[in-house]
Amino acid sequence: MTVDHAKPAAVGADRPAVKRTPAPKARRRSDRDGKWWTPWLFLAPALILFVYFKFIPMITAVTMSFQDVQPYLGNQWVGGQNYSTVLGDEAFHSAIWHTVVIAVGQTAGSMIIGLALALLMEGQSKRLKFLRSAAFLPVVVPIAVVAELWRIMYHPTEDGMLNSILGLVGLGPSGFINDPDSSMISVIITGIWRGAPYDMMIFLAGLAGIDRGLYEAATVDGASRWRKILHVTLPGLRSVFSILFVLAAIRGLRVFTEVFLLTNGGPNGSTEVAMTLIYKLGLEQNRLGVGAAGAVLLFLATLVLTLFVQVLRRRRDA
Amino acid sequence: MRKSRWIGVGLTVSALVLSGCSAGPAGTNVAQDTKAPLELWTRTTPGGAGEQATKRLAEAFEKATGFKVQVTAIFDDFETKLAQRAAQRDLPDIVMNDVTQVGTLKSQGLVREIEQGKIKHASELTEQALKSNQTPDGKLYGLPYSAQASALLIRKDWREKLGKGVPQNWAELADLAKAFTTGDPDGNGKNDTAGLNATLSTKRGYASWYFSNFLWAAGGDFITETGGGKYKPAMSTPESVAAVQWFRDLGCKDNVIQPGSVTMPTPATNETFEAGKAGMYVVGPYLLPRFDKSLGKDKYEVVPMPKGAKNADVLAEGLSIFMMAGSPNQAGQDAFGDFAISADGQKIGMEGESAFIVQLPVNKNVDITQVRSDPRWKTYAEIYAKSGHYAPSIPNWTPVRQDTADTISALVADCKLDLKAELSKLDTKLTATLQQQGISAS
Repeated sequence: MTVDHAKPAAVGADRPAVKRTPAPKARRRSDRDGKWWTPWLFLAPALILFVYFKFIPMITAVTMSFQDVQPYLGNQWVGGQNYSTVLGDEAFHSAIWHTVVIAVGQTAGSMIIGLALALLMEGQSKRLKFLRSAAFLPVVVPIAVVAELWRIMYHPTEDGMLNSILGLVGLGPSGFINDPDSSMISVIITGIWRGAPYDMMIFLAGLAGIDRGLYEAATVDGASRWRKILHVTLPGLRSVFSILFVLAAIRGLRVFTEVFLLTNGGPNGSTEVAMTLIYKLGLEQNRLGVGAAGAVLLFLATLVLTLFVQVLRRRRDA
Repeated sequence: MRKSRWIGVGLTVSALVLSGCSAGPAGTNVAQDTKAPLELWTRTTPGGAGEQATKRLAEAFEKATGFKVQVTAIFDDFETKLAQRAAQRDLPDIVMNDVTQVGTLKSQGLVREIEQGKIKHASELTEQALKSNQTPDGKLYGLPYSAQASALLIRKDWREKLGKGVPQNWAELADLAKAFTTGDPDGNGKNDTAGLNATLSTKRGYASWYFSNFLWAAGGDFITETGGGKYKPAMSTPESVAAVQWFRDLGCKDNVIQPGSVTMPTPATNETFEAGKAGMYVVGPYLLPRFDKSLGKDKYEVVPMPKGAKNADVLAEGLSIFMMAGSPNQAGQDAFGDFAISADGQKIGMEGESAFIVQLPVNKNVDITQVRSDPRWKTYAEIYAKSGHYAPSIPNWTPVRQDTADTISALVADCKLDLKAELSKLDTKLTATLQQQGISAS
């Protein structure tokens, strides 16, 4: 058991005995914690908002996933039919596969580039502060603007921005988002461009927490820069990796806006992900029950993934 | 700890009760109040000319009848926002949107039936426009207030520079498209122009919308009526296959369709034409004011689409007024519809050089040539009357349009795909859709 998990009384037991009059039990509790409802009072505004705007819609979505939703004709209970429709749909299978590919690609790409950027920009110099802020800009730019920028850059002719660069090295022109063979990687690159700076900032925070003495000891031992990264930096960033992995994986599974704006799932369904398909089923085709079933399945997948990572992390920490 | 658990349980139960309470049907028997203001949604750009024209019509209506109207313009994801309001059981009173929505809205119970007897001017509507708003059972679920059909817009300056005539058939159309693509019609010395401008994104089913201008003229069809209100898929018929093959070759063999078309919705496609990147565009009259301003009236011409293998049919569309369910002011809804389709209402809707919402009038007593002197409008009116082809009235056209858009867009995006196999797969999907709607012939 770690000190964090020890009971306050047990910690107190190690201290030198102090003579004082023992207070009545109820009063001691009140002094330390206040009334039982005090924390709830502080939490109430947030809880009310969460209940109304988050939890009730979530529960409603679960209810809807078992119904044929027709708000003005009356919803009909259809049991698990919506789930069997979604699970039996080939489009849903390929959308799930595309979602996994995008999640893995964006997560890995963002983490590798984010770590590389963090290692390059670690330090106290004022110039680095400026560079870090500049590198962080893609995160604060609205996703709609990002998608439009990349759409322009991906223009599929020789005079397109990226194609003119490819032309300089004798490649291209590529269709990028307009070609089913290159659309997926194009979407992933856009996601990495936006996600890497975010990962970089968290890595920078993690790097600041690594004991400098370990680097000095490694230098004394004659370790190369690469060895220091491998044996000091990466182990020191273990908890950062697990947090980033969970955040990035959830972000990857819920990917929607950049796909919707860049390709709308096309061409030929090559970038259709779970969220764009759910959107189409639910809101474009007005099959809200089927869309809700897809959303519930995605929620469960995210939940399982998060729990899996948490269990894995606790086992390693234990 | 125990108390906090109880609070958690309480919150969950409350949420369940609340969500359960809101699951019943609603909106059919709402208490009526003729003084309740009418919330009107129109599918047009907020702050744009269409919104101004709708507000002008609403003001004239208020003055004439005393009812109050609040106009809201929405363009992006209009149907999505409407679906959200439907899920909240709080629909606007009136919606002005594409006529192809009639089946979807009716099957979802979002619109109420219109009693023609209560609409004084309904007898003045053209047969073509009125029929497009009827469901297969003959009932009326929308009131037409504007009609349109597609025509071919050609960069006149480019055509004349290359010494070409106006295309009279599809071979000449393809030939002109090739010349626009390879002949440097803008004279900038770069190979940066395309022959045909096409909206082939799958968003809202745009690719299907656009391709219908070619499909019907070739004698093909999305679905065919077999009698008694039953339909069978028709995308694998020889005529449809030939139409798809011809159109696909424009993109895959001749490379005359503008680059990036398969991910372009209408706004991006419009910009391509007005930026001088494409030479021909099949589109309705609503874009004329925009192109006159951005491109110049003298730079392009409006001509009927050349005849295909069967005829010169083009997509006819209409805009309709839908009386939404759950309104507390049904009398106001009827009065607005009646005013908008009357000769006076139609003329108000047509006023102005750019801010108008009625493209071609649907009232028999209104002659477009007397309202608009520009001969291009007469061209559009003639195309609509002779070759206007509406999408069939089935319970829900949206999935048909979306499935066909997916396939058409895919076939142009991926030239390696087996055309016949893809169209056959599409027919299987269409059969399932027709069965789901209870109108399948098989």
